[in-house]
Amino acid sequence: MASHSSKIIPLTELAALVADGSSLALGGSFLHRGPFALVRELIRQGRKDLEVVKQSPGYDIDILCRAGALARARAGIVAMEGNFGLAPWYRKAVERGEIRLEEHACATLTAGLRASAFGVPFMPCGGIHGSDLPGLNGWKQIEDPYGTGESVYAIPKITPDFAVIMANEVSEEGDVRVYGTSHWDRIMSRSAKRVLVVAEKLAPSTSFREQPELTMIPHFLVEAISVVENGAWPGSCWPHYEVDYPAVEAYMKDGPAVLKQHLDSAPEAREAAHA
Amino acid sequence: MREWSGFSYIVTNLARFVRPREITFSGVNSALPMLACLVAKQAYDFDFTYINVAGGVDPRPSKVPISSSDPVLAEGSRSIFSNEDFYDLCTRGQMDLCYLGAAQVDGLGRTNVSVIGDWHAPKVRLPGGGGGAVMLPTAKRAVTWRTEHSIRTLVETLDFITASGGMHGVVTPIAVFMKREGRLVLSSWHPAASLDEVRARTGFAFEADGAEPTAPPTEAEAAALSKLDADGDFERDAAIKLR
Repeated sequence: MASHSSKIIPLTELAALVADGSSLALGGSFLHRGPFALVRELIRQGRKDLEVVKQSPGYDIDILCRAGALARARAGIVAMEGNFGLAPWYRKAVERGEIRLEEHACATLTAGLRASAFGVPFMPCGGIHGSDLPGLNGWKQIEDPYGTGESVYAIPKITPDFAVIMANEVSEEGDVRVYGTSHWDRIMSRSAKRVLVVAEKLAPSTSFREQPELTMIPHFLVEAISVVENGAWPGSCWPHYEVDYPAVEAYMKDGPAVLKQHLDSAPEAREAAHA
Repeated sequence: MREWSGFSYIVTNLARFVRPREITFSGVNSALPMLACLVAKQAYDFDFTYINVAGGVDPRPSKVPISSSDPVLAEGSRSIFSNEDFYDLCTRGQMDLCYLGAAQVDGLGRTNVSVIGDWHAPKVRLPGGGGGAVMLPTAKRAVTWRTEHSIRTLVETLDFITASGGMHGVVTPIAVFMKREGRLVLSSWHPAASLDEVRARTGFAFEADGAEPTAPPTEAEAAALSKLDADGDFERDAAIKLR
């Protein structure tokens, strides 16, 4: 049998693939199954001027703002959720004009990603009529060329530089499996120029051949993967673990040492310290 | 007679919008609608399909999560109906009822979840567009809730129109509004409040023909909610005051 090359690399090398100024579609939603270990590693490596593209960012966009690593965001709804309310450092960054926000509805962001995934310059999106968002973003309304008289908003293509997905399981060759909802991970993986993955576990390649319908992203779309146990911390990664609420609460505290303490107490940092 | 708390008032009156055989949706940042859907499942003697942002379809969660998007809400689900699926369901006109959050609501039932102040120079940057701009105009009925009933939240003029199309219902700690001929009208008020109080604390003008004190929780409604929030954690976290 032909030998294959492994796509598994250390987290530090995965983060090094992301240049300053990159746009990142981050998988998951709010505190659930986000590639948070990679987000933190980008901060440790001092990355700047990043863009987040995500329908429902929270902890990820907040910590990037807190570290001064973010310049732009295209987002639907931004909050910490789970009783924590607004994302405070994101909120301050927008209010002070430190980041440039393109406000979307979740479905308009998806439409932009679909345009990219489908290889077309724009994608019609239902709804939106009567909202101030089209005026804000310059979205054009087009009439049905087939004469129904219906008009829809055409959302321009959004092509992130990277989709970064938090997976439950991967094969060494790069096949990706998630459990529970896929959030928007699937369309992100089809719309971005490059796909990076943080995975909770490595699973045998044969297991993917046995149940191919569980594979969300096939290996040929994936560039590189890091296996990081508890990589979605302090968020959840169903069914492996739930949200670590005390850790989120500790993160939410203001103070000069809090961010560093938080980064140092993350699973990937503790792992590196013991390596 | 059973009495309302601000918390039980909002959750139960949200649940009362659920109708037989329909598809009902609860999303992110929506602990009270999540509880309302779970109350409706237990308290009402009819079938409906409950879908949620965790991909759940009539799930049987082993516990009620703090986060209304927690994957536990897909436990025991008969399918994973993910984000793109339920948005598409809505835009093609098959979503019967969805619960959508709002910071400000106007008399037409339009909402602002984007900003307090000028969008380009915000006093407060709010969570943002979310589901509303697309779901409010395309769902058959959308319902929102506010834990604060005041002229700051129920306004004559929105700071920004995030979503148009008009809420079918609005529930606050002291009132239930429903849409009639394109405007919100008062449907009922908390028995511990009054029509005058609701008027004084509402920023938009509204009609109130036929409005009356809200019927108390039924035994089944009260039992369902106290079972779901057995330790009172949700009620404590929500910290809803009448005044």
